[in-house]
Amino acid sequence: MEKKYALFTGCMMSTEQYAYEMSIRESLPILDVELIDVEGFSCCGEPMKSVNQLMALYLSARNIAIAEKNNLDILAPCAMCHLSLSECKHILGNNTEMKDRINGMLADEDLNYKGSIEILHTVDLLHDHIGLETIKKHVKKPLTGLKFATHYGCHLIRPSEIGRPVDSENPTKMEEILKVLGAETENYYPEKLDCCGGILQINLPESALTKTGQKLKAVQEYGFNGLVDVCPWCHRMYDARQVKAGETVATKLEVPVFYWDLI
Amino acid sequence: MSIVDLTSMGEPQSQLKKEINDRLTKLKNEISDYCFQCAKCTSGCEAHKLLELEPHKMAALLKRGLIDEMVNSDIIWTCMKNLAVASGKQIPGKYTAFLQSILSIGGIQDIQEITTRDNKTKRRSDLGLPNASKPKDLTKFQACLMKIAVEKV
Repeated sequence: MEKKYALFTGCMMSTEQYAYEMSIRESLPILDVELIDVEGFSCCGEPMKSVNQLMALYLSARNIAIAEKNNLDILAPCAMCHLSLSECKHILGNNTEMKDRINGMLADEDLNYKGSIEILHTVDLLHDHIGLETIKKHVKKPLTGLKFATHYGCHLIRPSEIGRPVDSENPTKMEEILKVLGAETENYYPEKLDCCGGILQINLPESALTKTGQKLKAVQEYGFNGLVDVCPWCHRMYDARQVKAGETVATKLEVPVFYWDLI
Repeated sequence: MSIVDLTSMGEPQSQLKKEINDRLTKLKNEISDYCFQCAKCTSGCEAHKLLELEPHKMAALLKRGLIDEMVNSDIIWTCMKNLAVASGKQIPGKYTAFLQSILSIGGIQDIQEITTRDNKTKRRSDLGLPNASKPKDLTKFQACLMKIAVEKV
């Protein structure tokens, strides 16, 4: 295998969004990527950020330190985990005092954060590291005649200051790959950057479903054959909660939703 | 005790309110010179489209020192956390459950069973997936997190 990565599955993918994990484990080895299961990872820290930023930083730094100990870059297919780990790297890279403080805490588990590894998401791994040409060579069944809408998800595109895998206002990497796979797509549709509503599920579940329903309704009306997403939180809203989301916008929704690597 | 506590019969939580007020006062001094109320944050806010919340009002209230009004409104508590406004915050009760779960198993939820399209129940192990990664020494992990839980940033 050409390149090895520590697969950071995070909480959502490893406990219920198995389709994403299965598709990654099936598809990436075909493209010469070896995925290593590293012991010791925990939650990325993102769900705790609103309550305790220090704890969120500690959890992210801890996971990065474990991968560093194994001399591996991290592949974090969950957009939320990817943001949390990237943000931690950005903060600790610019704040030596905080880095020392975190390292003091990590010493209890014999870990040391250096910030020396890369944090990748499946979108930049496929588009920037593996490349469109390589993907094209491996296409066995082109997706001819199918037209897909894309959903990047808020955590993958923002905040651009810390460096995200795609452009925050006009992301097109997924579209470029879909075209290489033989599918039709559109670089822009009005609801493309709309949020899935997933985080609002915690305190305003009905509004969250309305948000999900509004986007799926638009995708259905524009005549797409399906929606492709790259985040387990977004997928949970668009796929598992599609029927309920349809009820909130008074529409029968029948939009097939695919994980990126299933395509 | 504020008028909101009296009308809602809620606990005053004066210590928490003092802490929030201190943080917002600090933020007031930091942002007031930079925000010129272009409302670009509101135009990009997903919660605005859905709930008519206006994040630029946060800065407007802070600039005027109306911190109590902001804390008692919905504006800062109904963030979709889509990062369109970097300063959004939310503390719904479910986060306590998240913390407890991270402490006991390392993640925000334990392994779930799923139902397939043909109505079959599957576990992670049924799908040929390896065991999910977890902290090796839970006691050390928990001790560290407990220390942080009582510290302040």
